[in-house]
Amino acid sequence: MSPPLQLTLANDLAEIPRLAQAVETYCEPFEPSMKDILSLQLALEELVTNVINHGYADGHPHDFLVTLSGGAGSIRAVITDDAPAYDPLARPEVDTTLPLEERAIGGLGVHLVKKLMDVSHYERRDGKNILTIERRLNAPDRPV
Amino acid sequence: MDITESQLNTSTVLALSGRLDGLASPVLDQKVDVLLASGVRSVVFDCSSLGYVSSAGLRSFLTAAKKLKAAGGRSSFAALTPAVHEVFELSGFLTVLAIYPTAAAAANG
Repeated sequence: MSPPLQLTLANDLAEIPRLAQAVETYCEPFEPSMKDILSLQLALEELVTNVINHGYADGHPHDFLVTLSGGAGSIRAVITDDAPAYDPLARPEVDTTLPLEERAIGGLGVHLVKKLMDVSHYERRDGKNILTIERRLNAPDRPV
Repeated sequence: MDITESQLNTSTVLALSGRLDGLASPVLDQKVDVLLASGVRSVVFDCSSLGYVSSAGLRSFLTAAKKLKAAGGRSSFAALTPAVHEVFELSGFLTVLAIYPTAAAAANG
């Protein structure tokens, strides 16, 4: 069983490919499907992008943490940042049935996180935003 | 992500390969803007080698589709890989974008 992996990320979109690579490398021993890896990469990109683009309004460099842990047929990721309190999961559900002209993209990232993860959870603790996501690997009963 | 441009009938084909993430999507936005400015009105996004798309990439696709439509043109999306197809499906993009099995079909569509 692999021990958890803790990554320190800067608030810079250039971190996304590095994070994606780390997810793939960390997950490999747990024998996930390609879809499991892509789903975890996608969910993490969406949530980390929120922190990078909207978390810190002061324009200064900041660091935040992503912790990956695996076991019992699932992978869990926890994103911890010290930006002002914000729960991205509380966004209203997007309408994915509107015609092209009326389609807005806001909220689509979080929509995908909720669809692709088995667990998505936010809490504010000790002045930090803590987002936890989890996906069961090779789950046979997954709708998509 | 790599973008390879080619011409098929009256359409410009952009073959996307790799990952369309938040870092890559501005590159695609810029490419589409350049094509529009040069008078291109029909763009086929060939996704046969695109293995990953995030909401940032979806935003680029949606923006491109809206801009081309507003300019009296058309956009189409060809040969979605399973991973990209799933993200399109979950986002409701299969119904708002023109999807084709191949780039050739998209160019003729």
